[in-house]
Formats: sequence, structure tokens, C-alpha cells
Amino acid sequence: MKDLKHLIFFENLLQEANNDLVKQAKAEGKRAIGYTCYFMPEVLLDLPGCFSVRLRAPRCTSPDIATYYLSGRVCHYARSLLERALEGGYNFLDAQMATETCTATCRFQEHLQQKRLDSVEDMRIIDNDDFFCEFTDIPFKNTENSYQHFETQLRAHVLEPLHEHFGIDISDEAILKTIEAHNEVCRLINEIGEYRKLDNPTITGYEFHVIQLVSLACPKHLILPYLQETAKEMKTRKPDRKKGFRCKVVLAGSENDDPDFTKLVESCGALVVCDRYCYGAAESRIPIVVEEGKSPLRAIAEHYLKTSNCPRFMPQDEMRARKQRLADLAKEYNADGIIIASNKFCEYWSYERVIDTFILSRDFGLPVCSIEKEYINAASGQLRTRFQAFVESIEIKHIQEGK
Amino acid sequence: MAKKSMKKALKDFWFGKPHSAEEGGRRLGELYEDKTGLYKHREWRGVKDTFYYMYMIWGYNYLHMVTDILKYSNNPLDFVKGTWRYRWMGQTYLPVIHWFDRGLQGMRGEALRASAWHYRAMVSASIQQICNFFNADTRLHKGKENEAFRHTILANETTCGTMFYPWMDAGYQYIPLEMIPYFVTCHVNSHTVLNYIDAVQSIGLPGDPCPMCQAESGLFVLDDVPDAAPFVITCNEACDASVATSTLQDWFINRPLFALPLPMQFDDPLVKKYCMNEIEECWKFIEEQTGEPFSWESMVKRLEKQNKLQRDEWEKWEVAGRTDYYPVNGVAQALFRIFSTQYGIQGDFWDEASEKVKKIMYKCVQKKINSFPQTRHRVIAWSCAPLYFSNWCTWAYNCWGLNVIINMDSLMFDMEVRTDTYEHMLEDVATYHMWAPMRRMAVGGMQHIFELWENMEKFNCDMVAMYDQLQCKGMQGVHGLFEDEFRKRNINAFWMPHALPDSRTVSRAEIRRQINDYMTTVMHEEPLDPSLLDFDDSMTW
Amino acid sequence: MKKIKCRIAKFFLKLLGIFVLANAAIFVVFFFDLDGKLMFNVVEPFLKKHYDNMERKDTLKTPYDMDKFPKYEYKN
Repeated sequence: MKDLKHLIFFENLLQEANNDLVKQAKAEGKRAIGYTCYFMPEVLLDLPGCFSVRLRAPRCTSPDIATYYLSGRVCHYARSLLERALEGGYNFLDAQMATETCTATCRFQEHLQQKRLDSVEDMRIIDNDDFFCEFTDIPFKNTENSYQHFETQLRAHVLEPLHEHFGIDISDEAILKTIEAHNEVCRLINEIGEYRKLDNPTITGYEFHVIQLVSLACPKHLILPYLQETAKEMKTRKPDRKKGFRCKVVLAGSENDDPDFTKLVESCGALVVCDRYCYGAAESRIPIVVEEGKSPLRAIAEHYLKTSNCPRFMPQDEMRARKQRLADLAKEYNADGIIIASNKFCEYWSYERVIDTFILSRDFGLPVCSIEKEYINAASGQLRTRFQAFVESIEIKHIQEGK
Repeated sequence: MAKKSMKKALKDFWFGKPHSAEEGGRRLGELYEDKTGLYKHREWRGVKDTFYYMYMIWGYNYLHMVTDILKYSNNPLDFVKGTWRYRWMGQTYLPVIHWFDRGLQGMRGEALRASAWHYRAMVSASIQQICNFFNADTRLHKGKENEAFRHTILANETTCGTMFYPWMDAGYQYIPLEMIPYFVTCHVNSHTVLNYIDAVQSIGLPGDPCPMCQAESGLFVLDDVPDAAPFVITCNEACDASVATSTLQDWFINRPLFALPLPMQFDDPLVKKYCMNEIEECWKFIEEQTGEPFSWESMVKRLEKQNKLQRDEWEKWEVAGRTDYYPVNGVAQALFRIFSTQYGIQGDFWDEASEKVKKIMYKCVQKKINSFPQTRHRVIAWSCAPLYFSNWCTWAYNCWGLNVIINMDSLMFDMEVRTDTYEHMLEDVATYHMWAPMRRMAVGGMQHIFELWENMEKFNCDMVAMYDQLQCKGMQGVHGLFEDEFRKRNINAFWMPHALPDSRTVSRAEIRRQINDYMTTVMHEEPLDPSLLDFDDSMTW
Repeated sequence: MKKIKCRIAKFFLKLLGIFVLANAAIFVVFFFDLDGKLMFNVVEPFLKKHYDNMERKDTLKTPYDMDKFPKYEYKN
């Protein structure tokens, strides 16, 4: 296939958290608001006057100082973020909108927070006088009580601090306008992503991963023109005559902001046609619908709780429905199998991966490859062997089924 | 010379050998058989204490292990059947007295008596739970769902027992699902739990999540959990792995399961209403499942007992913090608190033990009896303790004179619940459950874990035993900051690496070695009992 | 009378003897940790063997129904 016009530009944007577009937005006087988790609605951080940056720590393979603070026994992602912060890589941030949604990233964010306590000295990791870190309590359920709680929390811990610190307009009108812009990004990403459903997709999983990541890591208003152009380009993009893959897979699991991981999977012959992991598009690019009679904030609160498939969700029906949704995604995207990848030390996904592995193959007949990975997969030999074996097993299955 | 040694022999016979590094002092390490941790012979504590131990602790508890079964079991035969059916039961129940031995080793006088009462209450509560399990278990009754089954509320062990008081007047029992099969077994016989950890890893779970949660899941993988209630309540205490464990448990339990998640940011006043609503939803679920309405009288009756127990504890802490006369040792203090909070008020054993301990304590205060006379350092133990070596406090006192005065778990739920109005009660139950049994310092901002300093001051401690649970992400995540603060504040602190229930990851001998190294290289101290420095108990319960 | 007294004394002496012997036996069990040794060397290995060889349900075959359990939500 012909290379996408902006792919190299996008790839370059992913080399640093403080990339060219972030710098440009900062130069425009906008405030950079960091976050790590899906449960922190990025749309609220994109209100006029500020922009969201979902934190990443690309190329961080040796988080030494962070390992002193967090120890070597918490997830590499949290350690890498702290390392990058300690190196000064996030000094451009004006605020961190934190969530206690997983212990490791919570501890990372607590290190950033200026607590002003006698009991523990603040580290002042982010060298920015305006910087503050605010925690929001995120519910574990999908009920009316949870929606109300989440709405209250978002108002008190996201909107009001943004207004107080930076004078951000947090009116319903401003939120509605931001939802509109957010939905436009979602529409474009989904439009691009739709090509993964083709028999011979005109976009690789790697390319899509890069595109999805830039939409999370860059100011929306600046990345939008490039996404529009890419979407347009996709309309005429021709696939290679010979399929460049041996099977199609859904990639599911925990935090994954490393497109090279997707590239690794694809280099073994498995085309990633759907991304259902933290930082993936399967949920995060579902447009937000504001129903009549509902405030935009309430709509956002409901949207993020309803769309999440995080294993943090506890209700019995939700726990089970997650497996069904994953199977539905495999069907929707014509995938031959599912790769479930959990980051080492990720407690939620360690368990979810076990149960997914059994249930999806037993009850849905889907081949599952269950792997544990690091945040940055420098040593990929073992994983390559696993993926190759998985691809072969799918091919054998196809032969047996007479496909 | 002969006369002198005869006099010493007589004195040792009458009072027991002195706790001293000098020649002629007691050498408890020499009592052990190699590897097994069994005694060549039990310790001679002097005439009075040896016979007190033999009759009032060893014999008394053996006897009560039988009478309690008769008291709490609907049919003692079920107890036998349960012992035969469940590994955690058979392998754990019988060595209970050795658990006393380990925790009370070297104790004399009031310390021996008071600490043993805490143990007694825990054993009684455990037997009651076991009997309740077996009374209701369909597996022991040919699959039949009997009355006991219909009157049992099962919940994840980290859901505090308080939540289920409203149904107890109507004859309902609350059983913390994993408390006996997992938590208690780890203390009594650490061999058992390894089967469960291995079982869950055998189906693909990696070895790095919290081993407590691994074991809790492994129980289900090995099909070693009684089927004792028509529904189950689960909660998100204390950590990510606890939440994730619910997913696996739900699969294997395959019965209605209600999730009672509690807010993480519990200092935020805005979370309270949400939490109260969640609790009320849980109560409505129980009403729906049992057909039995919430009883205010039943709730208040038990809350008042719970409050009394809390006030007792405050009295004890006052003495522990301000004087040298607190007679309860570190392990008895810690376990009593966590057992009683997890299980809640379901009998009089907590109160009876507490009263007895208070009586002994006031005797100590009045007569100025220092039950731990060889104390060199008053220690506060912080973070979560190794379950397979919870008696390390006893060892540390005997070997080094490190007297563990208080620990983090005990301090997690120090509040009374108001019972004047329903709203006050609900508000306080919400706070209580957001804090307890295992959560107060662990979540909701790192400021809570750093409450260490104020508690050090409150309990007049000069040293910190910092538990280093290798698979606890929350505690690992503050490791460096603690190091920084220890250095900055010039606090004597030693780290104790462990893996909660899994003695294979860090052995007891390794934990002892770490403490020994600290005491010799940093503190430059000599042991009180050199025979305890290094011994092989790798196969012990 | 003297004979009766003597018999009573003998009875009590016998009772005392039994009491002392029983206590001595209990003391031996207690002091030499015979209870622990019995549990560790005989009872536990026997039970372990029993539990290891027990036939157990294959829990991985437990059904995982998607629609079996409804959403539990109660309006406050």
C-alpha cells in the first residue's frame, strides 16, 4: 500500500509527550492538562483555553530513579511516566487530572501532587509554578448513583479547578461545543478505523494505532486537519493485491501506547483490526450523545461509565457482559482470533486475561493468545514466537474447517 | 560453687531462666527441632507460668476446641465431614495450639495471660465461623439447601461485618467468605495456602498480583469453598487485585453477586452520599434475596457492642502509648483487631476477651508491672504484615528486645458509629467501611500512609518495622518516599520483605536475617537470646 | 467405722493417684510437644495425602452465562 502522507509526521509526534503540536498549542497560550486513564473524560480537558494530553513515556526503557521511588515491582508504565516526569519531560503540563483507578498510576500521580503536608515532603517534580494535580473519585458501577456521583466529582474536581486556576469557561455551552469538536475527532477516527473491517483492509493496525495515539496525545484542534486529510486519503487508498497478513485479530488488554507492539504482532502475520485496550479506539472514540433534557456534564458522566469495558467495573452483569462485547467486536471486525495482552504487574488485567482466555475460547469458539508484556517491549523474541505459533494455530484451524 | 549452681537451678525451676544474653539466660532457639519448628520440649517458664500455660492455655483451648464445636455446630458430624472435605480445615484446625506456642513464646506473667485471651477469642470466633459454614454447606448435605443455608450471608472477607448486623436478630449469620479458608489458615498453618496459590497460577494467573488475592481465587479453582449461601456480596477492599478477584470468583460461585464498591478518595466530603447510597443498595439487595427486612434494633444492638469494643481498644491504646504496662504482645494486638473487625459482632467472645485483658492491664498499671521488661525499642509496625510470620513480633522481642506496641492494621478503624438516628448511623457506617478492615491507610491519597509519624509519637515509639509486601503495589509505590523521610527524620527503621501468605518467596529465616543485620550493623546491638538469631524452621507450620 | 474410713481414704488416695498420673501423662504430652509431633508427623501427612488424592470438580467447566444475572440496581 502507498504510505500515508502524514504517517511519518504522526510517528514523530509520538516520540515525545511535549511534541511540536503541544508546543504550538502552549505558544497559543493554551493550558496543557495531563491525564492517564480513560475514566478522566478527555473532552472536559479540551475545553476552550486548554487541551488534553494523555501521558505517555515513549522510549523509556530504564526507569532507574522511578524504580527507587516506586520499586521495581509496580508496572513499567507507571514507573516510566514517573521517570519521564523526573527527567523534566512533563514540565509543559499545567495540571494533571488524576484518578485513583489503578494503584500504580495513582501513586505516580500522587508523586506529582503538591500536598503541602508535614508528613511527607513534596518533590516538585513538575517544574511549573502553575501546575496542580487534582484527584477525581471514579465509581466502579454503571448505575444511577454512580452517574450522579461521577457528575458531582467531575464538576468539583475537573471543571471548577480548571475555572479557578486558569479561568476556563465551564458553561454548558462551552462543554457542548467541546463535545461537538470531540465527536468530530471520533467520527474521523471511526471513519479511518472502518477500513479495518474490509476483507483486505486498506489500513494496518500499526497505522491506525499511530493515528489513534496522536489524537490522544496532541491538541485536538491542531491534529484535526491532519486527521481530516488522512480520512480523505483513505477513501482512495488501494490495498496490496496480495494480502499482507495471514489472519486478523482483535488486540485487547491493558495499557498499550506502543505502536511498535502492534507492529510486532503484525510482523508475525496477524493484522490487528480492532483495538480494545486502554488508549485504544474501541471505546474512546464512541461519540458522546447529549440526550434532550440532560446536561452536557451529565451526558459525559454517563457516557464514560457506560462505554468503559475496564475490568475495574464490578457489577456481576458488567463483568460478564465484557466477554460478550469482546466476542461481538471480533465478529464485527471479522477477526479470526483475539490477543489478550496484560502489562506485567497490572492486577486488573492479569485476572481479566485469565478468564477471557477460557471463556472466549470455550463459550465463543474464538482462538485466544494470552500474553503478558512490558510497557516497552525491548525484548520481543519470546513474544514473536508466541504470536507466530498463534498465527499458525489459526491457519491450521482454518485448514481443518476447510476455509 | 555447687551451692550457687543449685540455687540458680532452683531459681530457674521456680521462675524460669532469665531473659538475658548472659550465660545462664534462656535459649529459646535450642528448644526447636531442626527444620520442623516443633519443640524438643516446650519452654519451661517457671512453675507458675508453665502450669498456667499447660492448664489455662494449652489444655483450656484444646478443651474448648471440642466444646465450641458442640456449641456452634448443628450436627457435630458435619464438622467431621467438613474436616475430611476441605484441606484448609483439616490441615489447619489441628495445629491451632502450635499457633499459640509461636505467638506466646517466651511470654511470662501478665503478658502471657492477656495475649492468650486475645488468641482465645480468635479461636472461638473461628470455630463459630467454621460451624456456620458447615451447618449451611450444601456439599455436606447431599446438595440440599437447608435452613442454615438460607440464613447465611456470604461476603468477601474484606467487607466489614458491620454491614450485616440488621439481619442477625432474624437468625442470619454472616460469614466472611475467605477469612477461615485463607486468612486464618495462613497464620495457623502456612502450608495450606500454597496449594491455592499454585492452583490459580496453574490456570494462567501470573505470579505478581497480590498473593492474598491469588489464594482467594485459588480456593475456588481447587473447588475448596463451601457452598453455604444463596447469594454473595463482594467489595473493592483493599486493592485492584481484590476487585479483579471478584471476576474470577463470580465465575466459580455462579450465584447472585452484589458488588459493594466504596469510594477511593474517602477524605472528599462529596463521596459520602454516594457511599451511603451504595450501602443502602446493598441492604436492599439483601432484603430482596432473603425476604427479610432491615432491622434497626438488630443493627443498633450490635453497633453498641462494637462501639464498646472500640472504646475498650482506646483505653488499651492509652495505656500502651503512655506507659510500659500494656500486657498484650504485638501479634495478639494486631490479630485481635483485624479478626474482630472483619468478622464483626456475632458472639460475646470479643467482649469477654477484651474485659479480661482490661482487667489484667489495670492490674499491671496499678502494680506497675512491666510485662515486657527487656524492651530496648518500642516499635511501630507499619503496612501489611506477613501472615505466615505474624509471630515475628514475639521472636523480635525475645531475640532483640524489640517490643511492637502497635501496628497499622489496628489503627485503621478507630471510630464509633453513632446510633442516635438512622442518618447518623448510615453516615458513620459509610466512613467505617471506607476505612476498614484493610483500607484506611492504603488508599485515598498517600497522606494516610504517612500518618506513621503521628502514630509513632502517640504510641511513644522509637523504631519502625516497615513491612515490605513485595506484591503490594500501593505500598511499593511509596517505597522511595519512605526511604527519603526516614533519612530526613533520622528514624530507625528496618524493612521486612515478605509475600503475605507465601513463605516460599521470602522465608521466615530471611526475614529474621534482615532484622538481625539491621540490629547488628546499624544499631550495633547484641541479641538478648543469641540462639534465636539463626535457626532452620523452613518446614514449620 | 475404722474400716470404712480406711476404704474412703484408699478411694481418695486412688483418686488422687489417678489424678496425679493423668496430670503427669498430660504434662508429658504437653511438655514434650507430643501433640505437635503427632499432628506434624502423622496426622497432617495422612490428611495431605487424602486431600491430594481427592477427586475434585473441574471448576473450569463452570458455566458462564451472560444473561443469568440481572443488573442489581435499587433506586434510593
